[in-house]
Amino acid sequence: MSQGIRVASAEDIAEGEGITIGRDVAGTADDIALLKDDDGSIWALDNTCTHQTASLAEGWVEGGYVECPLHSSRFCLRNGEVDGLPATRDTVAHRVEVRDGEVYLFPGQTP
Amino acid sequence: MNSRSDLGHVVVVGGGVGGVSTVGALRQGGYDGRVTLVDAGEFPYDRPPLSKDYLAGACSSTDLWLQSPAWFDDNRIELRTRTSVAALRTAEGALELDDGSRVAADRVVLATGGRAARPPLPGADGDLVHTLRTIEDADRLHKALVPGARLLVVGAGLIGAEVASTALDLGCDVVLVDPVDPPLVAALGTTIATWLHDLHTARGVRVVRAGVESLGQDGAVLTARFVGQPDAAEFDVAVLGVGMSPDTSLAVAAGIEVDRGVVVDPAQRTANPAVLAVGDATRVRRDGVLLPRTEHWEAAQHDGKRAAASILGVAPPAETAPWFWSDRHHRHVEAIGHLGAADQVVLRGTTDAPSFAVFGLHEGRVVAAAAVDDPTAVRAARRMVDRRLAVDPGALADPTTDLRRLLRG
Repeated sequence: MSQGIRVASAEDIAEGEGITIGRDVAGTADDIALLKDDDGSIWALDNTCTHQTASLAEGWVEGGYVECPLHSSRFCLRNGEVDGLPATRDTVAHRVEVRDGEVYLFPGQTP
Repeated sequence: MNSRSDLGHVVVVGGGVGGVSTVGALRQGGYDGRVTLVDAGEFPYDRPPLSKDYLAGACSSTDLWLQSPAWFDDNRIELRTRTSVAALRTAEGALELDDGSRVAADRVVLATGGRAARPPLPGADGDLVHTLRTIEDADRLHKALVPGARLLVVGAGLIGAEVASTALDLGCDVVLVDPVDPPLVAALGTTIATWLHDLHTARGVRVVRAGVESLGQDGAVLTARFVGQPDAAEFDVAVLGVGMSPDTSLAVAAGIEVDRGVVVDPAQRTANPAVLAVGDATRVRRDGVLLPRTEHWEAAQHDGKRAAASILGVAPPAETAPWFWSDRHHRHVEAIGHLGAADQVVLRGTTDAPSFAVFGLHEGRVVAAAAVDDPTAVRAARRMVDRRLAVDPGALADPTTDLRRLLRG
């Protein structure tokens, strides 16, 4: 797994948005939200908001955070830390690399 | 971030989102002194699920915790649960608890919230007539919402509509009565308010447009008389969803100005320098104008952050447009800003689509939005409102327009 899993092309994700990578592909407990910040950088978090069941891939990505589409808790793209109620638990961040326009996911590795 | 502890003991009264937000923001702001949170309940919890998942039996009481016990420990917040404050004694730097004991308090933040209102209606205090504000209320109501139970919901605002929806999912036979049809026009605009109200009927709730004249009880049967209808209707249980009464008793007794809410300035300060107030029980006076109570979850959270900033003497967080959400009949509704302030309202998409939104503009600038199952539209609208952005109404109305691109200008 040292090369990571190729999960998407960088251009598949619009700035400020995300896509979902299935757990069957990622081999993770939860699906993965692949999120592109407004500076173009790409990040990966466990997809399910720690509050209820919303998909963070459908959230609003901006300024280093993704905002949950249901109740607006924010999670740090770099480390998954929650910033603001109603969620109270951090989510999990996974390492991502972009090589030649392709996005490689390293499930379980800290960014 | 400076750590400081020279402000003494800060005591927050009330463990709802406003109170918990206050203590969290004090620590985030670097406050190192003593902080206590006093709450009458078992453990500080979040109220929005009380009319939704919790009432449905889909989550447990610990799922409602606003923060974990470890969080309170880690942040050195002293929790005094199952405790009420009897009186403020700010002249003596203290407050008095319901057991008669005293606690030193250099600053007090009132986050007392309120009670569900019971209208002055004959029979409104009957055994079969519920209100919904606390976890105990929700437990009691859940027990009554057995399949086939005939439920009367009085008031079709946010709580009433959510309870009607949850009860329908639990198999109850639901009648929803309100003299206003549709409700929530001021908050959501006519298009969405009408569409949402019609959803009740489409899903099998019987909607009655009427006021309630009286409630009564005949054995185990609840009777209700609606204005203008000759015959009484029979039910097994009723819920009143007709608003809340702010708990202002501590402020009143302490001589702090109260006018259907504890009056605070935009920094959450009362006229008593030792007392601040946040959340549902407060009203802000801004530029000499006393604003209505906001009574929304995020507003209480922001109040807490502002109160902490006031106590710490630092700049408050940036102002942002008021926001709320509601869930009914498996549809997610959000609104931002004040649609009433709009001189033009545009519909984005159509109401038969899976999601749609309305945007309100005033003199060409976005001032509000509301949406069904379209959180992105509301998050874009929040940024447009906060930045006072002028946007082409035609572009907003076109569902193929990328709202993020409009924000980039």
